[in-house]
Amino acid sequence: MENAVELNQVTKTFGSHTAVNELSLNVPSGTVYGFIGPNGSGKTTTLRMIMNIYYPESGSIRVFGESLHGSWTDRIGYLPEERGLYKKMSVRDILKFYGQLKNGTDLNQKIADWLERFELTPWANKKVETLSKGMSQKVQFIATIISKPEMVILDEPFSGLDPVNAEVLKDAVLQLQKDGTTVIFSTHDMAVAEKMCNFIFMIFKGNKVLDGSLADIQDKYGVDTIRVRIDEDADILRTIQGVDKVNDYGQVQELRMSNGTDSQELLRAIMSKARVKHFEISKPSLHDIFVRIAGPEAEEATHA
Amino acid sequence: MRKIWIIAVREYNAAVRTKAFIVSVVLMPVFMVGGIVAQKLLKGQVDTTDKKLAVIDHTGQLLESIQMAANARNDKEVIDKETGKKINPKYVIEPIEPNTEDPDDQRLELSNLIREKKLHAFVEIGKDVIEPQSKPDSKSDILPSTERIIYHGESAAIDRMRRWLRDELNPSIKQLRLATRDIDPKVVAQVIRFAQVEPHGLLSMEAGKVKSEGRKSEGQLMATPIIVMFLMFMMIMIGAPPLINSVLEEKMQRIAEVLLGSVTPFQIMFGKLLGTVGVSLTMVILYVGGGILLAEKIDASQYIPYDLLPWFIVFQVMAIFMFGAMFIAVGAACSDLKEAQSMTMPVMVMVMVPLFVWINVVKEPLSAFSTWMSLVPTCTPLLMLLRQATPASIPIWQPWVGLAGVVVFTIFCVWAAGRIFRVGLLMQGKPPKITDLMRWAIRG
Repeated sequence: MENAVELNQVTKTFGSHTAVNELSLNVPSGTVYGFIGPNGSGKTTTLRMIMNIYYPESGSIRVFGESLHGSWTDRIGYLPEERGLYKKMSVRDILKFYGQLKNGTDLNQKIADWLERFELTPWANKKVETLSKGMSQKVQFIATIISKPEMVILDEPFSGLDPVNAEVLKDAVLQLQKDGTTVIFSTHDMAVAEKMCNFIFMIFKGNKVLDGSLADIQDKYGVDTIRVRIDEDADILRTIQGVDKVNDYGQVQELRMSNGTDSQELLRAIMSKARVKHFEISKPSLHDIFVRIAGPEAEEATHA
Repeated sequence: MRKIWIIAVREYNAAVRTKAFIVSVVLMPVFMVGGIVAQKLLKGQVDTTDKKLAVIDHTGQLLESIQMAANARNDKEVIDKETGKKINPKYVIEPIEPNTEDPDDQRLELSNLIREKKLHAFVEIGKDVIEPQSKPDSKSDILPSTERIIYHGESAAIDRMRRWLRDELNPSIKQLRLATRDIDPKVVAQVIRFAQVEPHGLLSMEAGKVKSEGRKSEGQLMATPIIVMFLMFMMIMIGAPPLINSVLEEKMQRIAEVLLGSVTPFQIMFGKLLGTVGVSLTMVILYVGGGILLAEKIDASQYIPYDLLPWFIVFQVMAIFMFGAMFIAVGAACSDLKEAQSMTMPVMVMVMVPLFVWINVVKEPLSAFSTWMSLVPTCTPLLMLLRQATPASIPIWQPWVGLAGVVVFTIFCVWAAGRIFRVGLLMQGKPPKITDLMRWAIRG
């Protein structure tokens, strides 16, 4: 599979702060690639470097097999994290403006189709300032893809959308992938990343910490997660040997086993202290992995 | 290039379709014409209540002539013959016997009458005014009080009545002096007759005949240069400063980031400048075109300096590029309106420097000061044009050298602004210092 984007040992600093540190990454064509990581870890900087808005201090970036120069940007659609729309322009005008800047063709028809699909047709001639946050988000998304780019880069596309609109947007993204578009998006929603992405990439403090398919990543973190429901207070679970961590969700408790613990032993130990209503051996969720890497626990580990 | 054009078109539409633009385009001539009309109207708005002047005449010889002059004026100027309306106040003269025992008491009493609005003013004519003993060229404040005429009023210095009195008293005094010496006033008039030096323009050859421009007043000479310069100044002011807001909007609304996904910073900036040039040319067409049409209609087309029109347009375009680039750099360097306002000042001052010196330049367009000022790139568009609009013959090379300087400086401004723009556009938070700006410009 050809790579749409190749980053090789890319470093970007702002003053004394290293935003991205010797990052290497390959994004295969036609995949949905999810960028996750805590705020300020370097996601947006990486996306901006792929967009040629920031220039890396060292390392090389190749997009569609070419180094970052020339008119390749027309082949990429970019949705920045914060919405960028002229307030005084009408929805139709601004979509046309952004489409023209990408040398898009047959724009009027495409704009009409997309507005219809996102149920924005009645707003076509309204000014952007009259739109709600969710609506302007959808307009911004249309602006990103109106010129049918070969790759789209979406920085937090789902933030601020209600579930219905998030669904519409998710379908649109998956449709893009079916049509052969490469999609890179960053998100804080682990469930979305788990469900939508072929590959997940996590950056933490400027360094790559995860990169691969969800299955690969979960395999790496092993089968060490147990979900239980007991009729006693969750605190008793913390006293059981072989339990590293207890995550109490109220109705369900998630346990992480220490290395070498046998799940059957664990079940026995729990049964000896409480009645077990539910016991499930599962892979750690992406959320859990994220927290393990970037949560306070990891902070303590790195500082210890 | 196509992308620059798309940006320019959007910028143009965004500027021209705002209410502010339409209002300023429509209102500017309204204000200018309105100002003239208002002045004309206000001229007729004088206080027409009768004004009483108390006269203490120590000479005993001038009161009668003052009285006569007042009567003559009241007959002639108070009532408008055509409309029958009272257009000026009547002057009423009230003779007062001099109080020789306590003159200050009398003065105080009269002053109080003025405060009570029972009197408009009072004047005290010294007894030796007609035949003063001091030297003729003595300054009035060292004259003995008996040789002075002192007018007391609430705003004596700007009082029209005081000026009237001065103009009426002097011929009367002169006449009295001549009479005592037994000299014929006609002879004196002939002797002291004033010889004028008339201001005429240069002669030129037209259709085989030598043609004289004839007499030109100061107003005629200054009108064209002033109108030309202020027209350009207004167009710069309407066109360029809004670029700050436009860049700030793109920065604050994060539009810049979307744009940067499609075009280079330089394309954005250049597109914005082109759009703004379009805006200002639109105004040139509206105003200059309108002015020419109007002038032809009222048969005043000889006052329009057609040969200056190309220079006007060239300098106008360059000025917009030059100042526009500066305003764009300011906009890109700031993160909110407040910051922008304080950073705008230096650029505004640069735009306005010609307004501080134009009087000197228009009076002496060929002086070294005028020449050098008009060759400073930021001043060239306005001042060179001002000099060209005067009748003086500017050396032919100067506008071209000025233009070359402007072009070079403008390219520099656009280049430097482009680099500041690129760095500043995605920068948020604290405003940069001047040194930061320079570093951005140099390092990019």
